[in-house]
Amino acid sequence: MTLETEVQTLRQVPMFRDIDPARLKLLAFTSERVNFAEGQKFFSQGDPADAAYVILQGKADVELESVGGTIKVAELGQNAIVGEMGILSDSPRSATIVAAAPTSALRIDKRVFLELLTQFPQMSVAVMRELASRLEKMNAQLARQTRN
Amino acid sequence: MDKSLFRYIWRHSKRDQLIIFAVVLSSLPFYFASLDLPRRIVNEAIQGRAFAGGKQSAPFLEIGFGLPEWLGGARFTLFEGFQVDRLTLLFGLSALFLFFVLVNGGFKYWINLAKGALGERMLRRMRFDLFALVLRFTPEALRSVKSSETATIIKDEVEPIGGFIGDAFVLPMFLGTQALTALIFIMVQSFWLGLVAAAVVSVQFTIIPRLRRELLRLGKQRQIASRRLAGRVGEIVDGIEAVHVHNADKWERAEIGSRLYELFDIRFRIYKRKFMVKFLNNLLAQMTPFFFYAIGGYFALRGQLDIGQLVAVIAAYRELPPPLKELIDWDQQRLDVQVKYDQVVQHFSPERLLPPPDEKAAERDKGRLAGPLVVKDLRVTDPHGSVIIDGVSLTCPLPERIGIVADAGPAAGVFARIVGCRTLEYSGEVRIGEHNIAELPRGTIGRHLAYAGVEPILFPGSIRENLVYGLRHRPLGEPEEDAAEMARRLAEAKRTGNPLESINSTWIDCSLAGATDEAELDTILIDLLEQVGMRDDIYRFGLSGMVDPQKHPELAERIIEARTKLRDRLASFGMAELVEPFDRERYNRQATVGENLLFGVPTSRALMGRSLAEHAGFRDALKSENLTHDLAAMGAQIAETMVEIFRGLPQGHPLFEQFSFVAADELPEFEAIIRRHARRNGESYKGQDLTRLLALPLSYIEPRHRLGLLDESLETRLVKARNAVHERLRRDADPGVEFYDAEEVCSAAPLKDNLLFGRVSHSAANAQARITEAITGVVDELGLRPAIERVGLSHQVGPAGRMLSAPQRASVNLVRCLVKRPDILVIDGALAPFGEGHRRQLVSLLLGRSAEASLFMVLPNERETAGFDAVVRFAIGKAELIELRSGEPGGSIQEEFQAVEAAGKRVAGAVA
Repeated sequence: MTLETEVQTLRQVPMFRDIDPARLKLLAFTSERVNFAEGQKFFSQGDPADAAYVILQGKADVELESVGGTIKVAELGQNAIVGEMGILSDSPRSATIVAAAPTSALRIDKRVFLELLTQFPQMSVAVMRELASRLEKMNAQLARQTRN
Repeated sequence: MDKSLFRYIWRHSKRDQLIIFAVVLSSLPFYFASLDLPRRIVNEAIQGRAFAGGKQSAPFLEIGFGLPEWLGGARFTLFEGFQVDRLTLLFGLSALFLFFVLVNGGFKYWINLAKGALGERMLRRMRFDLFALVLRFTPEALRSVKSSETATIIKDEVEPIGGFIGDAFVLPMFLGTQALTALIFIMVQSFWLGLVAAAVVSVQFTIIPRLRRELLRLGKQRQIASRRLAGRVGEIVDGIEAVHVHNADKWERAEIGSRLYELFDIRFRIYKRKFMVKFLNNLLAQMTPFFFYAIGGYFALRGQLDIGQLVAVIAAYRELPPPLKELIDWDQQRLDVQVKYDQVVQHFSPERLLPPPDEKAAERDKGRLAGPLVVKDLRVTDPHGSVIIDGVSLTCPLPERIGIVADAGPAAGVFARIVGCRTLEYSGEVRIGEHNIAELPRGTIGRHLAYAGVEPILFPGSIRENLVYGLRHRPLGEPEEDAAEMARRLAEAKRTGNPLESINSTWIDCSLAGATDEAELDTILIDLLEQVGMRDDIYRFGLSGMVDPQKHPELAERIIEARTKLRDRLASFGMAELVEPFDRERYNRQATVGENLLFGVPTSRALMGRSLAEHAGFRDALKSENLTHDLAAMGAQIAETMVEIFRGLPQGHPLFEQFSFVAADELPEFEAIIRRHARRNGESYKGQDLTRLLALPLSYIEPRHRLGLLDESLETRLVKARNAVHERLRRDADPGVEFYDAEEVCSAAPLKDNLLFGRVSHSAANAQARITEAITGVVDELGLRPAIERVGLSHQVGPAGRMLSAPQRASVNLVRCLVKRPDILVIDGALAPFGEGHRRQLVSLLLGRSAEASLFMVLPNERETAGFDAVVRFAIGKAELIELRSGEPGGSIQEEFQAVEAAGKRVAGAVA
């Protein structure tokens, strides 16, 4: 898999959909490709957030650690982005991510990502749009729940 | 140093100067004889004048002299010589001529050598004297002395003075005699013409120096301006961070630019003046023949001077200008050098220096510093006259651990500096036992007292060298060197007033640290570093350090063992795929293309980084394997991608530094290369373009950069090319690469790489950390840690320790003080770079030193006095000693604090 295919994958991520291909290439080039064995952790709940990951191949589980033990709350598949909220909000990891199969992911370093956002307003706008749309969805969901 | 350069030279080189002058004088007869011989060969032997009148033989080697005609022209013969025939006379005279040529050459060689040696010896002496003066600068002078200016003085400014010294006395005497002889000869021939010549010469000697006065003034200016330039450049380099932080590049550039203009202006004015003087000088020299022809001719026509005399005078005059010119040049040089010397001496003027130390007394060791500390009426004022310490008297028993606290103000630090013998600017008396500390010899201070201030001063070199800096008071025993070489070194040192101690002797006195040999000393150092919390750093430095098999033979032997063990360990933990081992027959995908081709670590600069693409041998090998164009094409693709994705990023953006193959300012150049090539459609790259493109793929790693440029067939060809590269590089005496060999230690690679013997995977998550853990596991299993830490002690600290972090620098500074086990340790802000928790740990470490030793420590506030025996508390210039131990046994620390505070308030109240 080369840079080109990674760019294709990035384009499937809603947050990066509208970004210029050359910029996506820069984003891919400045990111690292990492392979996780099955059961290997991307990061653990409570770790400082240092990077976001885009899953290129394989799958990963989202787990929450609670008093009663770990609970799997979601599964991430190809093209999913994870950990992006943490690097934007500077808060510690809210969940643990474990590879559920041999998984390869693109590791986007926090410093590099913020550097790119400040350098290219177009990217910031795309990220903001995605965050706003997520907020909108949450609001709608909340409204639905209160109505019920 | 003497005020006058000539006095300085004369004082130190009288003997040599006189010997040279004597040799010059004794060479003169031979010189004149060799001048006379050609005439005799032609006249007497070839033309046969000696055989005039049908004589069959003529005398050869007769020795005698004749008086000039005006003294009667009598001739005295001392030795009759041998009677020889014409042919023998010719060969005899020719052989004699050859003999004189050889003798003259020999004299010349000896004189030049002696002058050169004299100059170099004086230069060595002068440099050393100046350096000795540097060590004597007063603390006040040091505030205004710039290090780079002083360095320029010692290195550059005295250099021309050294070149001049050999000629300082000999040349004027020699040339003066020559010129005077010629002048007297002219005088003898014709008094009036002699007078004319003398007049012109005296004009030359009065006007020219006058004109040169301006030249001297300018020379002085030039010297000061260039010295300041050096100082300024040094300052900027030292403070380069501030320049960048505050974006003052432009201002600094303009500043240096204007200094250069000023310098240019001065130099240009010097040139104008210099050539003007030269012109005038030549003119005057050319004027004399004019007088000779005109006036001499006039006398000749009138019959008052015969033609022969006139011709002789003109011929003699031809001999006059060269020595005169040289004499004037010498004078010019003398003035120039004198100005330089004056400037140098001014920099080291006596009021900026401490009195010269009595070396013997200074080195005397008065033994342990014990007994009570008695301070009597101590007063300190700052340079502006405000009182810092105002008549403090106190007595405290030693050894004791004493905290020093002060209200706002510098009193605590000043007191610590006084106790640490770092300053003499106080009145009153401070005694330790029977010694007044102001009179303690340096030898005692160095051995029994240690002061650690805010700024840790480290010297470039290894951590070890910095740590043992305080153990090198004097050489222990003679160095291992050839007896003849040693005799020569000592003789030279004595002749030039340099120190007799050799730097090659063993200087490190292990016993001061309580060790018997260097290995034990290393253990002590590492132990101390562990106590100050730097052991992990040292271990890491060791892993990234080089193992010199000569210095660490045992470790080097075990590296291969550890390598195998590490491989097994990785395999058994299922981590084998995290490292791709070096294999001569396989392409290492985690290593760069360049490394794969070299299959070794470059030791020569010509094979490092991008220069590899320019290396002729390497290029030959690529060519023979038909790889040049494939790699160039790869380079072009890399360049294209870089241009595409980095376009739009401003220059100097951190992402460039970190990720791009190409520096920001090179981007347009590569763009141009690609465009040029596209126009020429299909033509292959050439020359500079080719070299630049070839350099790019050399640092390419497929799994890291993922541009999809390497396929298996290319990889196979690269592995094949490895042999061609090796073969080609081995042809040179030094291949410049240390090739990888699984069974050998690669001494050019860091220890860690040697253990791994491969490259860590770029794509496996968290690989580096897991590998480091595995390495540590193996290291501990084999018990290699102490040996690796010893390698870590050789880690270089960089200029002023800049390659270490601030806490590391402070740790090294602290251990340097601890390792010599001082009787009194003064800590004045040395713990500032550490965090709160670490600092507390260090304080308890310092408090826990042996009961024999005293500690004085400046504390930030009274809350931190726990564990100290006593506190000296300063408030508004007054101080009081508060014994903390005198509190009830078992009394809580809290109570002690209260006691201290209450006492403090009492004192403060009393003063207020």
